[in-house]
Amino acid sequence: MAVFNNRNFLLLLRLIVGGVFIWAAVTKIADPLAFAQDVRNYRLVGQTLSFLTAIFLPWVELIAGVCLVIGVYPRSSAFLISGLLAFFIVLVAVTMVRGIDVDCGCFGTFSRKADLWLILEDSVWLVLSLVLLFSPANDFCLLKRSQKPLSLI
Amino acid sequence: MKIKQILRDGETWKGILIILALSLAIGTVSNLGLIKKFLRGEFRQAFFTREEYPGLVFITLPEVEELWHNQKALVVDSRPVSEFRRGHVPGAISVPLEEVKGGNYDPLERLTTAKPLIIYCEGGDCLTSLNLARLLHERGFRDLRVFSGGWAEWLAAGLPVEREDGGF
Repeated sequence: MAVFNNRNFLLLLRLIVGGVFIWAAVTKIADPLAFAQDVRNYRLVGQTLSFLTAIFLPWVELIAGVCLVIGVYPRSSAFLISGLLAFFIVLVAVTMVRGIDVDCGCFGTFSRKADLWLILEDSVWLVLSLVLLFSPANDFCLLKRSQKPLSLI
Repeated sequence: MKIKQILRDGETWKGILIILALSLAIGTVSNLGLIKKFLRGEFRQAFFTREEYPGLVFITLPEVEELWHNQKALVVDSRPVSEFRRGHVPGAISVPLEEVKGGNYDPLERLTTAKPLIIYCEGGDCLTSLNLARLLHERGFRDLRVFSGGWAEWLAAGLPVEREDGGF
């Protein structure tokens, strides 16, 4: 579709998706222990992995979000963000199937229940992020990629 | 662009590695204090610091039994009412976390700050007792002892059970 190749549209998408990830990350970085407890509440991993997730995951979200917004390795960022979103969707689905009632931990204290709506919302973000991942080229980038045509790689 | 192209593109992988490495580095540096506490074993049972929740401790079955037997503490059941009715620690007060979280603070009126509170849930991997303890801490209760072995451990030890089938 033509709109997906429109450079202004792609820039707007980058700002929106990146911005949401930056916001989500900042709320978690502000209180790592609260986020660690949120992760633990999913009852998927133990204390150590919950702690490590809380220490590192928000930074991956933040840096990927910033990179997407400013255009430094935007495709890599879109790749990481898509992967994270796919993981979140599976995680929430598995948690629902297991019958565990849990706060999602998505936006720090602004979090809400991990439910079907969350899966739908994450799916919308995933689609937007995939559009960025598969977009032909990224303009308005701070860091220009080396000018090797892709077909030669 | 096709997925094959993206995966074959060295730039994509380079970017991913850089983002991950940066996250690892900044995450470690910015959380050095917490990492030290973690290595000291402070978060083995729950994620809060002693300074945040003074008076909140974890206790084991023998301690619970001793306190309960000598009536030195109030036992609080954080599970849903339906489970409480099926069986609970004799003398325990039902304070279902889900109700308190929903804004119904009536069950708290039966609690007192004069005695320590022993809070338990299903046991195993349950977290409602800890979450209730945090909530009670925020509402001014200070001597909070979480029995993480919970109902499962109490039953397995063959200790007395009280049932309440109706008229709760």
